[in-house]
Amino acid sequence: MKVKRNMAYKPQYGPGTSKVAENRRKQMNPSQKLEKMRDVTDEDIVLILGHRAPGAAYPTAHPPLAEQQEPDCPIRKIVTPTEGAKAGDRVRYIQFADSMFFAPSHPYQRTYTEAYRFRGIDPGTLSGRQIVECRERDLEKYSKDLVNTELLDPARTGIRGATVHGHSLRLAENGMMFDMLQRSVLGEDGIVRYVKNQIGEPLDRAVAIGKPLDEKWLKAHTTIFHSLGGTPYRDDKEYIEYVQRIHTLRTKYGFLPKE
Amino acid sequence: MTDAIYPQVRIVSARFLRPDTVEQLLNRLVQVGGIRRMSINGPSIPATVPYGPARGQPNPHPDRKVIRVGDQDVQLRVQVGTIILEIEDESYIPVIGEAVDEVFADKDFSCTVQQGRYMKTQPTLSDYAKYGPDADKQILGLVDPRRKDGPVIIQGTK
Repeated sequence: MKVKRNMAYKPQYGPGTSKVAENRRKQMNPSQKLEKMRDVTDEDIVLILGHRAPGAAYPTAHPPLAEQQEPDCPIRKIVTPTEGAKAGDRVRYIQFADSMFFAPSHPYQRTYTEAYRFRGIDPGTLSGRQIVECRERDLEKYSKDLVNTELLDPARTGIRGATVHGHSLRLAENGMMFDMLQRSVLGEDGIVRYVKNQIGEPLDRAVAIGKPLDEKWLKAHTTIFHSLGGTPYRDDKEYIEYVQRIHTLRTKYGFLPKE
Repeated sequence: MTDAIYPQVRIVSARFLRPDTVEQLLNRLVQVGGIRRMSINGPSIPATVPYGPARGQPNPHPDRKVIRVGDQDVQLRVQVGTIILEIEDESYIPVIGEAVDEVFADKDFSCTVQQGRYMKTQPTLSDYAKYGPDADKQILGLVDPRRKDGPVIIQGTK
């Protein structure tokens, strides 16, 4: 999807002069292509998600829209349904946990990014995890983008449907983020493999999602401010100014502030 | 509970430890001696999936292992990140520091030894409400005293 050319203003996506702010804008801006880092196949994604068996038909929540009598509604005429909605798929989810140690993305960032880039989604943002719900076949398409691009690091991002604890903990000796259910394992060959699906059920075969990215790459591509070893938030004056402005305005809002 | 006269030490590593590193570190600490009580802390690794759609299913985890410390087997139930020690007197602190440095010499992350108060010295009102008046004071404040399996006792040389 592209941003409309004839919009009255040019979206800025976010404030800030630091590298972190720049990375955030890059992820959010749908006209910027995200770097492809790995090649996880459709079948592998289906296995990790664990919502249906690979190759099985999509279960439906309602008959396809074409077979249904649609009420006469002006909004339905404007909005084109997504593929999943057209077919009447169930609504399913993918959930991520991102380590505070320079993961490439983080919950708020993910929600912004997805809202700008994808259609027909319902993201949920929490402090340590971010979930996105949508129709099943759309979900598989979007998940492939989320897993295969620079939004994911095999070691510091976890695909976790339940028991997500770990984003704010120390890393393990081998650099993996703590996972109570150990869904992904770093092999002797340096490749991370998912041995359980996102809710912790063992998979029939391990799904390889590639080598963890090195510290230098992570620090250059992270969207997390971190005063220990990364870019401290306080160093980005423009970002602070913006946040303070929003904070002041919303605090004074009841008094109808005038600038 | 503990008498406040015994000094306490906390060993904190910058990364969570693998079971074999824990084994190596604890065995080195046992050699130092002078340790009255020890508690191994970190995020829990449950034997079964505790919640979510897969609740109750077994949770095979490579770091939930039995390690050998001194002459005893210790079942690890956590990913070890912190070790709290209660020692007999302050003269052991520098020796413990040296032992830790020795174990972590070939690792690419650091580990610090801190002195302070890390164990409870008297039961709180909540402890009384939860565990009653007869709770085992040796382990209260370190682990849940209602656990059926007691502490592992490693025989010293004294």
